[in-house]
Amino acid sequence: MSQTYYLLRHREVPEIGQIAVYRAHGGYEALRKALSQYQPEELVDLVKRSGLRGRGGAGFPTGVKWGFLPKDGRPRYLVVNSDEAEPGTFKDRELIEHNPHQLIEGMIISSYAIRANEAYIYCRGEFLKGYEELSRAVQEAYQAGFLGENILDSGFSLDIFVYRGAGAYICGEESALLESLEGRRGNPRLKPPFPAVAGLYGMPTIVNNVETIANVPPIVTYGAEWYTSMGTEKSPGLKIMSVSGPVNRPGNYEIPLATPLRQLIEDYAGGLKEGRRLKCIIPGGSSVPLLTPDKLDTPLDYESILQAGSMLGSGGCIVLDESVCIVKASHRLVKFYREESCGKCTPCREGTYWMADVLERLEMGLGTQDDLAILTDVADNINGKCFCPLGDASIGFLVSAINHFRDEFEAHVREGRCPLGAKVYDTANY
Amino acid sequence: MIRLTIDGQEIEVREGTMIADAAARLGIDIPVYCYHEALGPLGACRMCLVQVEKMPKLATACTTAVAEGMVVHTTGPQVDKGRKGVLEFLLINHPLDCPVCDKGGECFLQDYTFRYGPPQGRFQEPKIQKVKDGPISDLILIDQERCVLCQRCVRFMDEYVGEPELLLEGRGVETVVTTVEGRPAQSQFAGNVIDLCPVGALLAAPYHHKARPWNIEREESVCTLCPVGCTTLTTGRDGRIVRVEGRPVVDRNWGWLCDRGRFGFDFATHPSRLVNSRLHGREEAAARTTREIGQWLREVVAQEGGEAIAVVMGGLHTTEEAHQVYRFATEVLGTRRLVVSRDVPGYVPRGLNGTFEDLSAADAVILVGTDPYESAPVLHLRLRERLKNRRAPLTLMGVAPRNLSRSTLPVETLVTHVGQEADVLAAALKEAAGDHPAVAALLSQGAGIARGIDPTQVSQLSRVLREAERLVVVWDGVEPDVEHVLAALAQARQGQTTRVLPTFGPSNWRGFERAGFDARFDALTRVLEDARDGKIRMLILWGADLLKDYPDRRLVEQAYERVEWLLAEGVFVPEGAEHFDAVVPGAAPGEVYGTYVNMEARLQIASPSVNPPGQARPTKSYLTAWAHALGKPFVVDEEWDPYDDASGDLLPEEPLPQDIEAIRAPDLPEGGVELLVSAQVWANGIPSQILEARLEAAQIARISPLDADALGIREVGVIRVESAEGVLELPVRVDEHLTPGRLLVPLGVGALPVNRLRPGVVKVQRLEEVQTP
Ligand SMILES: Cc1cc2nc3c(=O)[nH]c(=O)nc-3n(C[C@H](O)[C@H](O)[C@H](O)COP(=O)(O)O)c2cc1C
Ligand code: SF4
Ligand code: SF4
Ligand code: SF4
Ligand code: FES
Repeated sequence: MSQTYYLLRHREVPEIGQIAVYRAHGGYEALRKALSQYQPEELVDLVKRSGLRGRGGAGFPTGVKWGFLPKDGRPRYLVVNSDEAEPGTFKDRELIEHNPHQLIEGMIISSYAIRANEAYIYCRGEFLKGYEELSRAVQEAYQAGFLGENILDSGFSLDIFVYRGAGAYICGEESALLESLEGRRGNPRLKPPFPAVAGLYGMPTIVNNVETIANVPPIVTYGAEWYTSMGTEKSPGLKIMSVSGPVNRPGNYEIPLATPLRQLIEDYAGGLKEGRRLKCIIPGGSSVPLLTPDKLDTPLDYESILQAGSMLGSGGCIVLDESVCIVKASHRLVKFYREESCGKCTPCREGTYWMADVLERLEMGLGTQDDLAILTDVADNINGKCFCPLGDASIGFLVSAINHFRDEFEAHVREGRCPLGAKVYDTANY
Repeated sequence: MIRLTIDGQEIEVREGTMIADAAARLGIDIPVYCYHEALGPLGACRMCLVQVEKMPKLATACTTAVAEGMVVHTTGPQVDKGRKGVLEFLLINHPLDCPVCDKGGECFLQDYTFRYGPPQGRFQEPKIQKVKDGPISDLILIDQERCVLCQRCVRFMDEYVGEPELLLEGRGVETVVTTVEGRPAQSQFAGNVIDLCPVGALLAAPYHHKARPWNIEREESVCTLCPVGCTTLTTGRDGRIVRVEGRPVVDRNWGWLCDRGRFGFDFATHPSRLVNSRLHGREEAAARTTREIGQWLREVVAQEGGEAIAVVMGGLHTTEEAHQVYRFATEVLGTRRLVVSRDVPGYVPRGLNGTFEDLSAADAVILVGTDPYESAPVLHLRLRERLKNRRAPLTLMGVAPRNLSRSTLPVETLVTHVGQEADVLAAALKEAAGDHPAVAALLSQGAGIARGIDPTQVSQLSRVLREAERLVVVWDGVEPDVEHVLAALAQARQGQTTRVLPTFGPSNWRGFERAGFDARFDALTRVLEDARDGKIRMLILWGADLLKDYPDRRLVEQAYERVEWLLAEGVFVPEGAEHFDAVVPGAAPGEVYGTYVNMEARLQIASPSVNPPGQARPTKSYLTAWAHALGKPFVVDEEWDPYDDASGDLLPEEPLPQDIEAIRAPDLPEGGVELLVSAQVWANGIPSQILEARLEAAQIARISPLDADALGIREVGVIRVESAEGVLELPVRVDEHLTPGRLLVPLGVGALPVNRLRPGVVKVQRLEEVQTP
């Protein structure tokens, strides 16, 4: 179906990653406008009025976060979170690989707004291409005078540093990210103090997702009202959804918030492949509970999805069809969290290990009646008792799977095998 | 102040207090693993879950600060389930080692599981396997399987000590504690992680598989190896001390030890320990020796009276033992020549003596001569903790013949010549309060020149002397004139606090003073001179070893040669054994009950864990026997109590010293290498087999890389040192941190008889270079 692109404009404009092409299509005009027509505080206000919410997962209002910075004269930093490692989410990757200048322009405007003179991009280690594109684009921006001293004669100066992570999902969590950026082991920090008060090197720091910052230039160009004209009052604007699974057109889709889930799956992504029937959907990345097909008409905005029993999260929409064994899917996801648990706190470190083992046994047909009760109880002992949200994320899907597909779990015990014939070590489908 | 309710009890605490600490004040036990007040909150183990009304989830008591009107429940179905859950998690990968674990019976995993844990586990899967009994160092073992990953050890070394030798490696359930690149941990504070570890993951190698808790008793004791006097728990088994642990004292200390104190307990069982009496250089039956000595005493007292006898108190004796000797000497022998063995000439009057609380409250600290890292290790930790407290800034300066700054404790040092400390301090005092009569008196002989010192540094120091509200001076006693400067300083700063912490020994010198001995260096010197001049017929050393310690070796030799009778009691045979008519074996710390007075003038009690070995006897046994030989009644007064009702465990306060002695500007050397001495706990002459390699490495002179280069020494060598007093051959190594132009020699090491020379300019020549592998 036809669609208007803002953040995914590179699909219409080939080579927009080159600064000349980006500029020929209006690139860096929002920056010029911001620097010449706005005081920093006015930009914070603009973003507040746009209602833009963080696209990294938690959906926290961006302008409000910017407003938390203490006004005590200490240096401030902007850190862009490009660690995108949530299974099912691949939007930031496309943004940095194909349209890096849009992010950089957003970073310059945002840094100006929060009065930061240094900004960092923490890029997921595996995103080699994205890292190279960003590094190249940052160089171009310096050469064009958009970075460095006295940008566009505004008196504002900014340096951007691109940093590569080393392959840990937990380093997407903002405080672990900051630890890693400072050269330490990527374990989450105690909060409070929040990064806005004591972040990078103890200084006030704003951490925002790539997509969040990429939204800033169009908001400057078209205004807050343009943004609030889309979506709902509490969830205004645009969101990129990553759709994966047995659909005809998996990929990233830029939608106005509150677009119904059904429309995303059936229209944008072209519906399920021939002969496949929908089993459930994980709407917001691997960390959120599943939604059953009866929730297909839920509008994709933060509040409605929450009400439906899940979360919009990072917008990684994973479609599971009836051929998927729910136990195996649970095992696969819990195993991910077991591998990615940083090990700092007891329930997440030990609990994910335990649950993964039990799920593996269940899937192999070696489970017992007690195992289901144990799983539920172990999940309960993790729930709300971990140091950071990763612990709770590890049980989001599992608990909803047990609730909605208890029969299927029990069948594994009863039949002593996977009724769907899935194998634990079947790597093709791993 | 914040008011809150915990389990129905109201309490008021300071803002910022964590629920865990507030509960502890009420005597409510909240189980913790990762939390330690000295390290601050971490929130890792999740053991301390509590329920706070109006909070949606359970909260961790160690990371949740109190709030006005907060209502906390530390029990209840939710909390109980949370705790059970955490303990079950901790146990799933915990090995079934309890029956062979050194910590079995004194382990928090056992204790909490017993009190709060599930009756049985539900985990049936294979456990993760990790390294068992791997080395952290030659002294510390790690069992990674038993580790609960509380990070106390890692954080202690990294944040608290500042020597990040431990780290976490791996992720998730594979996470382990290990050393940096597998290198052994070298820090002298590493042993504390054994005490900090809540489970049996970090173990003392010398104690490994040595005992179970039901075989042993832990006695409260005190480390006597340096003047800090750290509080300890001593474990004895089968007549030997097998372990020393730190003992926290609420509101006073965290129970840290240095590894010298923690592992150096085996001096009492060292092969060189004196366990038999010696008469004229040969081992002799105790009874015969005692009889013989009794006879000599009788003869001297009968012929010339007690004043012909002098007693030098030293070594590791308790205050009570010193008091027994004092009474014996005054009442039975009738002598008042009672002095203390000293290795440096400085003295701190009681009126100036400060405490560790003064240090915590100080806004400025000046190190004079001393590097606490070497002379009083746990004091270094205290200073670091104080410095790290950002809420109350601390100015830390030094006046010493070498740079005292370390990466763990930056010190703005005024680097003086040897012998110039007092003059430089006086110069700063002149600038700060030159008009004060006490200062004027101090300077009346022309001191206060600070030649060659950067005037801006002197001004900086003078500002500290003038403006610090609470000043603490830590001093090594090497340069005696500093005492007079400190006295004048304290007077000039009336209204502000000025306190001194002496780092010199013997570790219980203030206790000997309390018992009646004169601890001033001059008194000791007079005794030795009198001995040399034939005015003393019998010299008794009680634990003292003057040839090793006294700064002028020649005078000691002359005294030893001249006196008719030379006796010693001790744990080791003193140097110059050939001079001694008799040596009797004494009891060591850990073998007698008594008190020790540390550098704060604080009395601390030590209970014995074992009996003295062989013929070694406590002091009183000898004294009563000899009194008997002299035909005089002598009953040891077990009731004597060094404590004072008014001052508690501190020795009674005294007024500030009033008379100020004028000091002179020193004659300063021109060029050349200056010999400088310092007390070092790792080179204090007390042997240990457990620490043998480390002690050996420390018993060496040190020079700067620059001087080493000039001498043609890369790492280690032997040098010839020459001065007006004589010549000395010394092993020497390069010390990156040492100020050029200095030769540093530790005090009190038999193999480095630095007391053959005087501190000051020496001529240095290379004899050989030692190739190190
Ligand atoms: C385990 C975990 C992983 C996360 N990973 C990411 C990530 O890859 N990218 C991201 O932007 N935010 C991630 N977050 C969220 C960040 O902590 C943070 O909230 C976000 O970067 C803030 O940016 P925003 O306000 O623009 O969303 C993660 C959070 C958790 C708990
Ligand atoms: S929940 Fe705990 S162990 Fe898991 S990632 Fe967060 S801090 Fe690490
Ligand atoms: S070794 Fe001991 S102190 Fe260190 S993390 Fe493990 S349990 Fe904690
Ligand atoms: S600092 Fe001194 S008193 Fe404390 S343990 Fe070390 S040697 Fe013993
Ligand atoms: S003691 Fe509170 S989390 Fe460890």
